[in-house]
Amino acid sequence: MQLLNTLLIGITAGSIYALMAIAFVLVWRSTRVVNFAQAGMALLSTYFGYEAVSRIGSFWVALPVAMIGGALFAALVELILMRLLVKHASSGPIAGVAPIIATLGLLGVIRSVISMIWGGQDLRIVAPISNNGFTINGSTLVFSPLKLLVLVVVAVLLILLTILFQKTNLGLALRASAHAPEIARLSGVRVDSVRTLGWALAGAAGAVAGLFQTVNGNGNFSPDAIDFSLLLVSGFIAAVIGGLDSLLGAVLGGLFLGVTISFVLMYISSGLFFIAPFIILLIVLFIRPQGIIGVKAGRRA
Amino acid sequence: MFILGGVVLYFLSGVVDELRVYQGATIAVYVIAIASIILLTGYSGQVSLGHGALMAVGAYAAAVLRIEFNLPIILCFVAAVLAAAIGGALLGAAAARLSGPYLAGTTLALAIGLPSLANQFAVLGGEQGLLFDVGFPPLALGEEFTQYKWFFWIAALAALISMWVIRNLLNSAYGRAWRAGRGNEVAAQLAGINTARSKVLAFTISAGIAGLAGALLAMTIGTVSPSAFPLALSFSLLTGAVLSGITTLGGVIIGAVVLVAIPEIADVVAHRLGSSESVTTNLPGLIVSGLLILTVLFVPNGPVEQHRARKAKHAAQHTSSKKKDKH
Amino acid sequence: MKALNRRKLITASAVLAIVGLAATAIPAQAAEVGVSSTQIKLGMTLPMTGTASLGYNKIPGAAKAYFDYLNANGGINGRKVTLVVKDDRYVPTEAVAKTNELILKDKVMALLAPLGTANVKAVASSVNPARRGVPVLFVNTGFSGFADIKKYKTTYTVLPSYVMEAKIMGQYIKENFAGKKIGLLYQDDDFGTDALAGFKSAGTNFTIKVPYASGSQTAAAAAGWITKFKAAEVDVVILFGVSSATSAMLGVAAQLKYAPQWMLGSVGGDATTIKLTGVPAGVLYNAIGFSPVPATTDMKDEYVKFFSDIYAKAVPGSPFDLNVLLGMNTAFMTAQALKAAGPRPTRKSLMAAIDSKGATFANSALVPAGYSKTSHVGLTGYWVGKYSPTGDLSPIGGTYVTYTTDSGSGPVVKSTYKRPAMPAKGLPN
Repeated sequence: MQLLNTLLIGITAGSIYALMAIAFVLVWRSTRVVNFAQAGMALLSTYFGYEAVSRIGSFWVALPVAMIGGALFAALVELILMRLLVKHASSGPIAGVAPIIATLGLLGVIRSVISMIWGGQDLRIVAPISNNGFTINGSTLVFSPLKLLVLVVVAVLLILLTILFQKTNLGLALRASAHAPEIARLSGVRVDSVRTLGWALAGAAGAVAGLFQTVNGNGNFSPDAIDFSLLLVSGFIAAVIGGLDSLLGAVLGGLFLGVTISFVLMYISSGLFFIAPFIILLIVLFIRPQGIIGVKAGRRA
Repeated sequence: MFILGGVVLYFLSGVVDELRVYQGATIAVYVIAIASIILLTGYSGQVSLGHGALMAVGAYAAAVLRIEFNLPIILCFVAAVLAAAIGGALLGAAAARLSGPYLAGTTLALAIGLPSLANQFAVLGGEQGLLFDVGFPPLALGEEFTQYKWFFWIAALAALISMWVIRNLLNSAYGRAWRAGRGNEVAAQLAGINTARSKVLAFTISAGIAGLAGALLAMTIGTVSPSAFPLALSFSLLTGAVLSGITTLGGVIIGAVVLVAIPEIADVVAHRLGSSESVTTNLPGLIVSGLLILTVLFVPNGPVEQHRARKAKHAAQHTSSKKKDKH
Repeated sequence: MKALNRRKLITASAVLAIVGLAATAIPAQAAEVGVSSTQIKLGMTLPMTGTASLGYNKIPGAAKAYFDYLNANGGINGRKVTLVVKDDRYVPTEAVAKTNELILKDKVMALLAPLGTANVKAVASSVNPARRGVPVLFVNTGFSGFADIKKYKTTYTVLPSYVMEAKIMGQYIKENFAGKKIGLLYQDDDFGTDALAGFKSAGTNFTIKVPYASGSQTAAAAAGWITKFKAAEVDVVILFGVSSATSAMLGVAAQLKYAPQWMLGSVGGDATTIKLTGVPAGVLYNAIGFSPVPATTDMKDEYVKFFSDIYAKAVPGSPFDLNVLLGMNTAFMTAQALKAAGPRPTRKSLMAAIDSKGATFANSALVPAGYSKTSHVGLTGYWVGKYSPTGDLSPIGGTYVTYTTDSGSGPVVKSTYKRPAMPAKGLPN
C-alpha cells in the first residue's frame, strides 16, 4: 500500500513537472534559450485564471483563459525582450549569459508587478473536480479524479504537440527555425513569427502547469508561494534530465524526477526535500550528460 | 592604487555612521563575490547559477573550524578559501562534461540543495545554523570602536587583497588562456592551451574567492545557516556582475553598491510617493530586476566597457577623418 | 615630482583619517534612544509576506490596535507608543538587516516580539542587542535557549517554551493514551529539536517520527507524510509544526480520509488560520490543542471580550484569532512595562521594571509569568482543549485546567494559579 501510494504521489508530482518541462523544451527548441521566467509566466497565467474564475465562476472557462493569456504574454515577451536581446547582446562574453540573466530579471519583474497589482496575500482557486482519494477495498489511495485529470491532460498535450512538431509543416518550420534559421529563411519560413509561436505554446503549457499545481495543493497561491519556486526548479531539472531537445524526454524526465524524489522522501528521509533533486540530477548527468533522450552536441570546428 | 584605496576607506569608516559602515562591510563582501563571477563567467565563459552554494561551503568551513578548534580568524578564512576551492574543482570537473543549459541546471540544483545539506549533519548546526564569532575588535583600537567598524575593516582589507590577486591573475598567462578558451575553444586548443584544465582552474579559483566572500558574509551576520544562502543570493551575484560589466573587474564596486543601495533608494522613493503597502514592499525588487533587464539589453558589457567602446569609436572616427583630410 | 605628490596625498589622508576617527570617539550627548517627550518608538521584525507569514502577519495590526487605544487614552505618561514594523520574510539575514535599520536608522527604544527562532538568534549574534543594551521584549518564539540570561542578557521570552509544551503533551498522552501508538510531525530545525528534548524528558515513545525541511511544507509533501503515518498504523498524530505545515497536513488528510487522533502544537494550532486555507472544520473536530491564553471564542473572558472589541473597531472584518490575541496581549504587557519604567523611561529602567514587576503584570494568560532578576522566562504552561465541530478550541469539560512546568527536568504539575482581574479599562495603572 505504501509502495503504491509512493508511486502515485510521484507520478502526480512528476506529471506537473512534466508540463513545466514541456514549456522549457518548447522555448529551447524554438529559440535555443532557457527561459527562467517560465514559472513567473505560469504564475501570471494562474492569476489570469483566478480573475476568470472569480468573474465567471467556472474552472473550465478559466483554464483556456489562462492558457490564452499565458500564450499572449509569452509571445509579447518574445517579441519585445528576446528580439532586443538578439540585437544588442549576441556577441562577446555576455552572449551566453544574457538570455539567462534577462529572463531572471523578467522573473523578478513579473513577481513584483503581480504583488503590486494583486497584493501578496493568498488567493484561492477551488479545484473543479474532487481531489478526494479513490477508495478501494477500504483503503484510500493518494490518487483522485483531479490527479487523474492532470495525467490525462499531460498525455493529451504531449500527443498534440508531438503531432504538431513531427507531422505538420508548422512543426517542421519550428524545428528548422531553431536549428538552421538562415536556411529556413531562404526556404520562405517566417522564422521570427515561428519563434514567437514557440514561446506562445510554451506560455500555454506553463499556464496549465501553474493552474494544476495550485488546485492540486490546497488551492491557495501567492507571488511567494513555494509551489511556484518548486515548479521553476523541478521543471527545469526535469527538462535537463530528459534532454532539452525532446518533448517526450521532458515528460519522461518529469515523471522520473517525481517518482524518484517521492521514493527518496518516503524511504530515506523526508528532510531531504531540497537535496534530492540535486543528487538525482548529478547522477543522471554523470551517466548521460546529454539527458535521457538528449542529442550529444557535436564538435563544431 | 590599492594602498590609496585602503587609506580612503580607513578615513571613510571614521566619519560615517554605523549603519553605513555595516552596509560598507556588506558591499565589500559583494565586491569579492561578484569578482569571482566576473572571473568565471566574464573571463572563462562558464555560467554558474550556484555561487551562493560555494559561498556557503566557505562559510561553513570557517564556522566549523572556529567552533570545533577555535582557530584564529585568519586561519578560518584560509580554510574557507580552500574548502570552497575544492568544491569548485569538483564542480569544474563535472562542468567540463556539461555545456550551457546543463551546466546552468546543475549549478541551479546545487544552489538549492547544498545549503540544506546542513540540516542532515549535526556538526553543521542544522537549520538554526552555527555561530560565527570573529571576536571583538582589539582593545588597542579604543573603547568606542564598534563591532561593525571592525567587520568593515576586515571585509574591506579582504576585498582589497582579493582584487589585487584577481587583477594579477587576469593579466597573467592564466587570464589569457581563459579568454582564449572563451572565445573559440578549438582555436585555443590548437594554440596549445589545455582548455579543459584551464576551465577547471577557473572554477577552482572562482570558488575559492566565493568561499572567502561567504565566510565574510557569515562574519557580518554572525551566523551560518542554510537560509543565509538562498537561491536569490546566487541570482543577485549574477545581477551584480552584469551591472558591473561582466568583463570589467574595475566595475565590481558599481554592482556591489547598486545591490546594497537599490533597496534603500527604492524604499525612500516609495515612501516619498506615499504609495500603498504592496507597492512599497515590492518596489526594490522591481527596480533591481528592471535594472537587470535594461542593463543586459542596452549596456550588456557593463558601463565601463560601454564607455571605453564609445571613446574608442570616437577616436577611430577622429583619426579616420584626419586621414581623409590628409588626402 | 609625482612620487612626492603621491606621498603627500597619502600622508594627508592618513592625518585626516586619524582626526576623523578621533572625532567619532567623542561620545554624543543624548536623551534615551527612541524616547522623546511625546513619543516612545518600538520596532518589530516578522514575516509579513512569504510562506511562513500565514497568520502571523496579523500581529502588527493587533499590537497597533491596542497601542492606538492606549494612545487615545493618554498613552504612557503622555507619550504615544508607536510601532515600526519591518518584513523579514522569515529569513534570518533579512531579520538582521531590518533590525539594523530599526536600531541604527529608526532608532527605536526597544525591539518588540521579533518572530522566529533562527531570526532572533541571528540578530542576537550579529546585531548584538545585548552589547548595545537594547531590550528585546517578549520574543515571539518558544525556543528554550532564549532563557539563557548570560547569552541573551536583554532578551525576554513570553511564550512557554517548546520543551514545556512537549512535556505537557507527553504528560497528557501518558494519562490518556497509554499503550497507544504515537506519531510525530516536526520541523527539521531547532524548533523541532526543542520539542524532541521535551518529549524525551516526558518519556514519550514514538512509533514514527517524521521531520520536514522548513520551507517544504506543501500539500504534495503532506501526502507523503500521511502515507508514512498510515503505514506505521499510529493512533495519535502530533503536529508540532508551523501553521502552513499543519494546514497542509489536515487538508490532505481530509482528501485521503485519514482521521487519527490529532494533537496540535500551539504554534501551528490556530483554528482560524487553518480554516482559512480551506481545511474543513470537521477535520479539526475532537483534535486536541493547547494554549496559554484563553480560548479566542470565549466571550465570557474579560480579556477576550476587551481585546476583540478593540480589534473589531480597529481592523473591521478581520477575524479575531490566536495570533491577534497574543499580539494584543504582548502589547498590553509592554504598556505596563513602559509605565513601570518610570516618568523618564530609559532602556535600563524598562528592563529593571520587567525584572522586578514583570511577574505581576496583568495579562490574559491563565498561567503565571516567571520574570525576576534572575529569570527572563515568561509564561510557563498551557491548558488542554479540544476543537469543537466548528473547529474552535475550547477547554475540555468547559473549565480551564492548566499545567505548568519548566524547560528542564522538572515535573508537570497542575497549576493553581488564579489570574488577577484586568485593570480598569484595560490600561496600565
